[in-house]
Amino acid sequence: MTLLAPPIGTAPAAAGIAAAAVGVSKIYGHGDTAVHALDEIDASFQSGRFTAIMGPSGSGKSTLMHCLAGLDTVSHGSILVGDTDLSTLSERELTLLRRDRIGFVFQSFNLVPTLTAMENITLPMDLAGRTPDQAWVDEVINTVGLDDRTSHRPNELSGGQQQRVAVSRALASQPEIVFADEPTGNLDSTTGAEILEFMRRAVREMDQTIVMVTHDPNAASYADRVVFLNDGKIVDEMFEPTPDTILDTMKALGN
Amino acid sequence: MLRLTIKNLLDKKIRFALTTLAVVVGVAMVVGVFAMTDSLRSSFSQLAEDISEATPLTVRTSQEVGREIDRDPVPAAVDEVVRSIEGVEDTVPGVAAFNVVITDGAGEAILPTGPPTLGFSWTPLQFFITDGAVPAGSGEFAADSSTAADNDLQIGSTYVISGPIEQVEFELVGIFNFGAPDKHTTLGQTMAAFEIGVAQEFFGLEDRYSSIGVLLDPGTDTAEVQGRIQEAIGRDYEAVTDEVIEEETTDDINEVIDVFNIILLVFAFIIVFVSAFIINNTFQIVVAQRIRELGLLRAIGATGSQVRNSVIFEALLVGLFSTITGLVLGRFLAGGMRWMLNQGGFSLPTGPLELQPRTVVWAVVVGMGVTLLSSIIPARRARTISPIAAIQSDQQLAGASLRRRLVIGGVVTGIGFLLLLVGLFGSLDTSATLSLVGFGAFLVFIGMNTLAPSFARPAALLIGRPIARILGTPGQIARGNAARTPRRTASTAAALMIGLALVGMAGVVGSSLTKSFLNTLDDAVQSDYFIRSDSGGFDPSVGFSEEVAAEIEALPEFDTVVAYRFAIGSMRIEGSNHDVFTADFELVESHMDADIITGSLSDADAAFAIALHEDSAEDLGVVVGDTLDATFPDNGTDTLTVVAVYRDATIFGNWLIDNDTWERHFSRREIGFASATITGFSDDLPEAEQARLQAGAAEAIAPLGQQFPGVKMESRVEFRQSQQDQLNSFLIVITVLLGLSLVIALIGIANTLGLAIFERTREIGLIRAVGMTRWQLALTIFGEAVIVAIFGAILGLSLGVVFGVAVVIAIPDSVINAISVPYLTLLVYLVIAGFAGMLAALLPAFRAGRLNILDAISHE
Ligand SMILES: Nc1ncnc2c1ncn2[C@@H]1O[C@H](COP(=O)(O)OP(=O)(O)O)[C@@H](O)[C@H]1O
Ligand SMILES: [Mg+2]
Repeated sequence: MTLLAPPIGTAPAAAGIAAAAVGVSKIYGHGDTAVHALDEIDASFQSGRFTAIMGPSGSGKSTLMHCLAGLDTVSHGSILVGDTDLSTLSERELTLLRRDRIGFVFQSFNLVPTLTAMENITLPMDLAGRTPDQAWVDEVINTVGLDDRTSHRPNELSGGQQQRVAVSRALASQPEIVFADEPTGNLDSTTGAEILEFMRRAVREMDQTIVMVTHDPNAASYADRVVFLNDGKIVDEMFEPTPDTILDTMKALGN
Repeated sequence: MLRLTIKNLLDKKIRFALTTLAVVVGVAMVVGVFAMTDSLRSSFSQLAEDISEATPLTVRTSQEVGREIDRDPVPAAVDEVVRSIEGVEDTVPGVAAFNVVITDGAGEAILPTGPPTLGFSWTPLQFFITDGAVPAGSGEFAADSSTAADNDLQIGSTYVISGPIEQVEFELVGIFNFGAPDKHTTLGQTMAAFEIGVAQEFFGLEDRYSSIGVLLDPGTDTAEVQGRIQEAIGRDYEAVTDEVIEEETTDDINEVIDVFNIILLVFAFIIVFVSAFIINNTFQIVVAQRIRELGLLRAIGATGSQVRNSVIFEALLVGLFSTITGLVLGRFLAGGMRWMLNQGGFSLPTGPLELQPRTVVWAVVVGMGVTLLSSIIPARRARTISPIAAIQSDQQLAGASLRRRLVIGGVVTGIGFLLLLVGLFGSLDTSATLSLVGFGAFLVFIGMNTLAPSFARPAALLIGRPIARILGTPGQIARGNAARTPRRTASTAAALMIGLALVGMAGVVGSSLTKSFLNTLDDAVQSDYFIRSDSGGFDPSVGFSEEVAAEIEALPEFDTVVAYRFAIGSMRIEGSNHDVFTADFELVESHMDADIITGSLSDADAAFAIALHEDSAEDLGVVVGDTLDATFPDNGTDTLTVVAVYRDATIFGNWLIDNDTWERHFSRREIGFASATITGFSDDLPEAEQARLQAGAAEAIAPLGQQFPGVKMESRVEFRQSQQDQLNSFLIVITVLLGLSLVIALIGIANTLGLAIFERTREIGLIRAVGMTRWQLALTIFGEAVIVAIFGAILGLSLGVVFGVAVVIAIPDSVINAISVPYLTLLVYLVIAGFAGMLAALLPAFRAGRLNILDAISHE
């Protein structure tokens, strides 16, 4: 893979940056049918912050998140998680990076059906053969309000409870960064609000780092910062957003 | 999206291939077995026709009791009578003998394993010289071309040949083809031919012929001459037409081919049966997976029957494809089997391999029948899918309720066991026994398959516990996966169950047989040396010359030698024919202890004595001192006095007569087995003295071993070992053949796992995304396979032990009198099954590891 972006090397990234994309492009297919899902993206995500990635459907949000999380490879540019350049890692090293340093929440189907809620929460640590920090896990579960549900299997939990388990799993191993792809997309607004509130508290009170993909302005307003994507490019950015300011920006982009 | 579609299709292609493979192997086996045995049958019946046509009539002794091998010879005077009859142009008298063993140039006896070693008088009607000359004088012989070529026999060289009575040196003067001038046909037997006078003397048949071929004057009516001959020779002899001889020969050959055919077919049908389980399982899973799609079809207006028919149609396609492929492959397989047998020492005629209509019908019945039958239940389930299924995400297929399952499974298993027991203990004829036992076992397997899902979940959790402990999180997930679809786990395991039940049963029977033999040897046998033919078979027609016994007896290191002979169905008492053993009554009590209850063998007037087992004595209502009239193959009848009744049938069976009686009624002179005692040897002697005597005996007998290369002379320790080895290697062959069905079961495991992985694509994507390595994923899949395999193995081996013990109890005590369950061997099978499960999981694990995480997560 060639790096078209200026070489950053493996020098420690600026303090406080949990993950960064440097000149990242992602092209699907080739020739006439090529789709530029990401086009020369430069973005960094600060530790201890809650960042939302917004944009219309097909703008490249999920693709960006997948690349940042080591689930997908980039066509050009490089991705840094902490000071690790993902392009230098093997498939196995990427897997271990996801397991040990990253947390995930997907839109749906977040849990292994044969494992209990607690087993799902500690799954990445169990896979690593690490003993979970029980005090921390308890605090997460407590905060998310799952205490009496930990021995249930996913099919015995409601959609909202399942998402709470997923968020707990993402936080339980105290990863450097948590990626969430439309985590409230399948939930009703009340349940969704609870999850978002919890994510915000995890950042504020527990000093976690979360990057969330969403197309819902209301959801994005829980974040500290919103990055706007359109046609694979970063087109705008906003701090301390409210639903209204986000909606305005979205409308402006639509024109 | 396109990529997903293509992948989907590819998945189905592999599934289709795996499903059909299971049927194809079964069909090909059935077709191959029929095609090969049909071709053998037609070649040999052609040969029998060619040979018997050479002489339109044959004169021989009439026989009412016993086998062809024990037919009494015809006195030479009869030949004179026949020759003088009007219409007879000439006669072709001949003699034949078993156990004529040629020693090759290196001093090794030429002993095929299985096929006989035959001696003949030369006849230009059947033998055709390819090299050298016809044996004409004393000291000359000719050998068949394949024996000569395989053992590098050279014309002009001298070879030692062991006959029924003695061992003599002959010069090889000619090499011949049997059956046709330019083509030699054989089932692997060795043939030595001599001038007729030489043969008569060598076989101990002076002034007698085994049979007399009759050539007629041109233009005479065969039936007329036959009548004239029959009138002249009287009722003790008979003149039969070439058709009768041809039919008898063909029947004899077919009897051998039939046994062969049945054994191979049994294995083929076991494979077909296992295949049926796999196909059934696959269709079940496929219907379950397509539940949404089928629900949608129902929602947009397809009727239940249309949905059902779509499943049956898929089965039809699989069946059709498998049948055609199986037919083609089966023909090749037949050629392959024949080639392998020919490599293994046979020289089978390579006639054309045709598919007879019967074979094609069987292929269709097996290929289409098995597939369609296996699809009935899944198809009926598909019919019950409601349109709601399209909308509801987690609709389960309606299956029989647990309670119904337990009832149906229990009843079927019970009936199966009942049939099995009736078959084993109902004292029916062989074919009724076999079909009852077979059908009983079949029902037991079906019943167990119905029962198994109700306890598959706890069983999988239990078996999975140690695996979860060893493998950690991957093991734990594997355990959950095996337990979450109990029906599927159970039916996958059931395919494995069948093979292991059969293997386990063979293990129990084999081990009990070995134990019985060793018990008898240790408890009832006192002799110190054992003399047997080296050809390995348990065939009663296998034997060696009397000279061997005489030579051993002449050694000062040996005290007494007892010779034994055996014939099947050759003694008629009160209307039924019995197998008969012989021994030297005067000496045998110091060699073998048959646990005599009343009377004694050594005190008797041996020449007209009989000893029998207590059961036979009771059946006939006789006690020591009573007499019995016994008729033998020479049609002669003796009045024999019962001199002893014994309890242990393992050594002599139920009927024992003296060698003197045998020699009056049987022309076969060679002995089947002999035992010898060492001079002065006794268990009471100090060990050093015992060892000294044994060493002396071993040294003294060694030169005789050189002198009679086809004869094994073994001390008690050696005999014990060689017999045990023989039983073991026989058992290994059976186990390997039965084990073949495991290969099919493994395809089943691979198939189920492959489908399960496809079903769990998103789960795999998720679990990989949160950090499971490929290796851990592979461990998960291995773990699940091992749990399923061990579950099937435990079911199968348990059934196998039950079957085995039942069979052992049913087999008469004269053959097996002890029950022994080889726990260690069974444990080894269990471990092998576990590893085999991992083997089956290799491809699915590899494929799962190759799944693209992102595609997997977004998989629908
Ligand atoms: N696997 C793929 N193959 C081809 N094109 C893709 C693939 N995944 C995404 N795309 C395309 O890349 C663009 C961005 O997709 P995505 O990141 O999923 O958008 P978003 O999440 O913002 O809706 C879209 O045009 C989409 O069609
Ligand atoms: Mg998206």
